[in-house]
Amino acid sequence: MPRLIRWLQKKRGDRRTGSNLVGNVGEAVFYGALFLLGVTALAALLTAHVVQPAAAWYAVGFGFWCVVLVLTSFVILGGAGVLRTAFRIGFSAERRSAMAQSANRIDLVREAVPQPKDFPTLPSHDGLVNSPGTELAYRLPASNPTGWRLLATTIFSLLWNAVGCVLFVIATRGWLDGNVNWFLTAFLIPYLAICGGSIYFVLRQIWIDAGMGPTTVEICSHPLWPARQYQVHLSQSGHIAVKSLSLWLTCDEEVTYHQGTDIRHEVRTVYQEKLYERADFGIEPGIPFQTECTLSIPPTAMHSFQSEHNAVHWWLVVRGSLAYWPKFERRFPIIVYPGEATAAAEKRPVSAPASSRIHARGRSVLSEVSA
Amino acid sequence: MILMEPLISLCLVGQKREFSAGDELVAEYQFDAVSADEIHSAEASVLWYTEGKGEEDLGVHFFERRVPTDADQGDLRLLRRFSTRLPTSPLSYSGAIFCVRWCVRVRLFLRKGRELMQEVPFVLGAVPAVQSAECRANEAR
Repeated sequence: MPRLIRWLQKKRGDRRTGSNLVGNVGEAVFYGALFLLGVTALAALLTAHVVQPAAAWYAVGFGFWCVVLVLTSFVILGGAGVLRTAFRIGFSAERRSAMAQSANRIDLVREAVPQPKDFPTLPSHDGLVNSPGTELAYRLPASNPTGWRLLATTIFSLLWNAVGCVLFVIATRGWLDGNVNWFLTAFLIPYLAICGGSIYFVLRQIWIDAGMGPTTVEICSHPLWPARQYQVHLSQSGHIAVKSLSLWLTCDEEVTYHQGTDIRHEVRTVYQEKLYERADFGIEPGIPFQTECTLSIPPTAMHSFQSEHNAVHWWLVVRGSLAYWPKFERRFPIIVYPGEATAAAEKRPVSAPASSRIHARGRSVLSEVSA
Repeated sequence: MILMEPLISLCLVGQKREFSAGDELVAEYQFDAVSADEIHSAEASVLWYTEGKGEEDLGVHFFERRVPTDADQGDLRLLRRFSTRLPTSPLSYSGAIFCVRWCVRVRLFLRKGRELMQEVPFVLGAVPAVQSAECRANEAR
């Protein structure tokens, strides 16, 4: 028989192994206390200023507004936490999910969260078929993680270098005045080295993104169905000597999970197939390299899948190895629908008894699945 | 004094445990070893959920909640049958770092706040289990 209160519990993301009741009560007490603390302190502070302005503890200034801001955040966080806890009590994960799906059926919401009507959990392909191709029906948009990397690197570099400039000016003034701050000077050496490194990485990324020339991939039809064949057109521009250029079909599993207070993201490639490869050739300006090849999704492939924390993504991936350039990779998302071979159940000889009824004591619900 | 746990009987009607997309799934459930007065409500659902390295996600395809006023003579213990046509996705999937599972789940809510659950798994579709590219490379070596 389980103990009423487990002292040692596990927490994995939103799940916990302890009692839901104890957890919910504890959460409600915590948020309630936060709310009451915020309201009481805020009321006391405001009353002191409004009712007895002369006896106010704080003059109305920056400090006063900071305290008001912090206490208001206590009120909002505490109130929202209590409401959230109250909403969860008595609602199973299935019921919350069913309510969320009912809301999703409202047209306004569904327009904001587009999904193929008859295929739940498949990502929408609307954004993949709104650009007509010049050779084939659709030009696929590139998923551009390097763009975000470039943006992040640029922001970091700007901030780091701005601070570096200020420190450099302060240190230089000290040198000129004969009042050398040796600690600052010693600190500046590695700091400025990082400044130089960040500038190098920004320029390198810009060089790759801008100098390589665009890669375009077009496809004859979309979305894709397993066991059918499709034509793919690949075009690469630029002024580059290519050691090798290849086009791959890949399928990745992607998951996100909490590890402590961090959110981790993991990608695992579960299928890849080389569709095309060519080595040792040159691309001249104004004359892009172009080729066509055939793409076939395996008949038993898993369809594209997207839920809040888990996904199966299919990609067309262009990988290049170039002379005097770093290797590059550009990814183009595609959506794969469930195929006939996988949608039908396996035909197995029936070995189970006709009445395979589960007739068991219900399990007390200790752990909860997040909705 | 011996305290009896309520008994939840849940079964899929028919012999199939593997279903095709669009098949009709029929299930039935009933409760024993509990008095009708003790039952606050019961929920039956057909749902998919994910398992594995990522946070668990959940999607409900069919959901039915019943309170005593919904049942004959206010008795939720009696055999209840429900059916639903299964969707075209997501199909059951055993991947390298996460899986998609389907099940029929029944929850019993008692008056004193207790909650009991029973579920029967089933398979939707026939996507073969995959191994990661690393696994396949290791096997090839």
